Amino acid sequence: MRLLWSFLVSIVGLATAARAKSSSGDSVLVLLDSSVNKDDYSLFFKGLEERGYDLTFRSAKADEPAIIKDDHPQFSHAIIFAPETKSYPKDITPQSLVELLSKGTNLLLALSPKQTPLTSLASEFSLIPPPPGTPLVSHFPERDTPATVIPVNVSHSSPILTPELPPVWFSGVPFALGTNPLLVPLLHAPAESFATDTLTDSDADVIAEASEKGGEGLWAGSQLGLVAGFQPVGGARATWVGGVELFSDEFAHKEISSGVKSGNEQFTVDVASWTFQESLVLRIDSVNHHRLDETAPRDKYTTNDKIVFTTHISRYNPQSSEWEPYSGIKDLQLEFTMLDPHIRTALPPVAGQPGTYSVTFRAPDRHGVFKFVVDYKRRGWTHLQSSTVVPLVPPRHDEYPRFLSAAWPYYTGAISTSVGFVIFSALWLGGSETKKAKGSKAE
Amino acid sequence: MGVLRYCLLALLAIAGVHASALSVQSPRVTITGPDAAQLRTESLLADGPLPTLTLGADDALKLTFQVVESDGGKGVQPHQVFLRFYDELSGEEGIQPLRVTPGGKAKFELSMSKPPASLPPSSTAPLRVSLLLGSFSHAPASYSLFDLLVPPSAPAPTHPDEPSFHARPEIVHTFRPDPALPPRPVSALFSGLVLAPWVVLLGLWSHIRPRVPRLFSPQILPFVSSLAAFEGLLFWYWVDLRLGDVLLYGGVLGLITALTGNKALSATGEWRTGRK
Repeated sequence: MRLLWSFLVSIVGLATAARAKSSSGDSVLVLLDSSVNKDDYSLFFKGLEERGYDLTFRSAKADEPAIIKDDHPQFSHAIIFAPETKSYPKDITPQSLVELLSKGTNLLLALSPKQTPLTSLASEFSLIPPPPGTPLVSHFPERDTPATVIPVNVSHSSPILTPELPPVWFSGVPFALGTNPLLVPLLHAPAESFATDTLTDSDADVIAEASEKGGEGLWAGSQLGLVAGFQPVGGARATWVGGVELFSDEFAHKEISSGVKSGNEQFTVDVASWTFQESLVLRIDSVNHHRLDETAPRDKYTTNDKIVFTTHISRYNPQSSEWEPYSGIKDLQLEFTMLDPHIRTALPPVAGQPGTYSVTFRAPDRHGVFKFVVDYKRRGWTHLQSSTVVPLVPPRHDEYPRFLSAAWPYYTGAISTSVGFVIFSALWLGGSETKKAKGSKAE
Repeated sequence: MGVLRYCLLALLAIAGVHASALSVQSPRVTITGPDAAQLRTESLLADGPLPTLTLGADDALKLTFQVVESDGGKGVQPHQVFLRFYDELSGEEGIQPLRVTPGGKAKFELSMSKPPASLPPSSTAPLRVSLLLGSFSHAPASYSLFDLLVPPSAPAPTHPDEPSFHARPEIVHTFRPDPALPPRPVSALFSGLVLAPWVVLLGLWSHIRPRVPRLFSPQILPFVSSLAAFEGLLFWYWVDLRLGDVLLYGGVLGLITALTGNKALSATGEWRTGRK
């Protein structure tokens, strides 16, 4: 009986531990076309449902449920796995996808060697896909899978991915990454891989011609991306994946080498949790400012004042679905700006108070309307932006320094005049006239 | 296109484990100067450390080799013959596909006066040059050929917003210096000079010894006290007080001073006429 009870408790514990809810909503629209069978991707979709998402499946030919209605997004997240469809339903156009992104819907988009509406949208995100019909091919390492199914090593430097992930299987197209700093590359292609439509050894000349002058260029090398995230300043995230098969059950169960399972399952979980605003999500809870020897904020400060600026920052914890104070930002900066930053200082975390960042600085001696600007943008993390306007006025007539040493002669002069007046009036009122002895003698 | 894709997959699936591997025979690299003088010739893939070759701004490099099967030595034309330039310090990479004759012979020329587009931006770190051979019907092979030092190039272009994604340099405001004051001993000296007449006055009084017999009489003392109080109010205003309070206190004090002054001056007048 006790064994059964502990078994039940452990099941319940596992179920609750597996839940990792997103910080921006649970409804997901999954667009699948006829080439993608939902059951072939059951590990990925069931994993999402277990973590608390409500998946709504929709065929690429159907018009309902609409992803955006009356300029209002109907879902918090969207997954588009439609690699073979040349045209999407009316409500999913490149413009509507960009509008959804600006309104806060997170997107997970899959490209394919075929030309889809997403291929032209990718270039808006600073991704350059290869010509249609050229999947990624790699002859390295020697293996018994086709040349288009490639094991890719996962670089261990991104905070988004679980450390020590085994290589993942990939099949699809690469894309060249632009220099846009909003891009967050998650998976780079292997150095020996390249995109081509040639099938035999005798077509080797085609590859050399592609990279010569007049050719369309060769997509090759480790500078290519296979999975790249994009986080615009609005906060919603979009992830571009070069091929849908990365998420499939077949690749998740395929072994990389004997006895070593591929990292596909964990990799797709990490990618989905970053895209759907679970991991690396920050927010500013509050912003305070006051003079050094006061506690309440003022509606205006004086030049040369010592001002204390404090901000509270939390990070979303997907395991507990709560925002927890976060002191891990080491390079937060504060700018005190009037048209241009007059002061830019580090905003270090306060030891002993989790989530609090504070700095004391001296206000510039220019008066004007200034802003406290916190602008924290790092690849992969939510952008933190806050701007508080505060006027800085010159000192009032009675706020200047007084009792200067240069004025001592004047102080002594004025005080001695007052003292002299009092003594004179005391002498004059208090004294009596003396008899003129000689004058009376003359009479 | 779907049918073609299935055919491709079927073809590639048949490939399976390859019988023989690709390999490279007689790789040689030659560096020639601007006047076609041979500066250096190396035979690569020999035992020992990788040679480090230096290319000046006018030099040219020529690489020749033959791709053969590892068993048999027959020349083959593989699918992928790439030269990979890799800067380990910055992570920049460039891939150059090479043309190979059906007999497996390959030749590559790199002239620094007209560098190929595949040469990545480099600084002072050497570029690692390696050869990648891949084929559908043979096992692949990759060889590290040599390290190449080229003149530093312009750095890779970065996006103009890139600095805002890292910590930016701190800006410190230079304040106007505090206004300069004369040294304190000078001020003290001049304060002393201001007080000099008092010294003279006190000295003269010590001779005369003026007497104030009537000061503490009840008619005179209140008036002198209220005059002193006025001076005290003035000092208090200077130190701390605000105009409104001063006017209030001054009004009250003025009333008192008028009353006491009236009494004092009438008493003084009486004394003068009485004595007279």
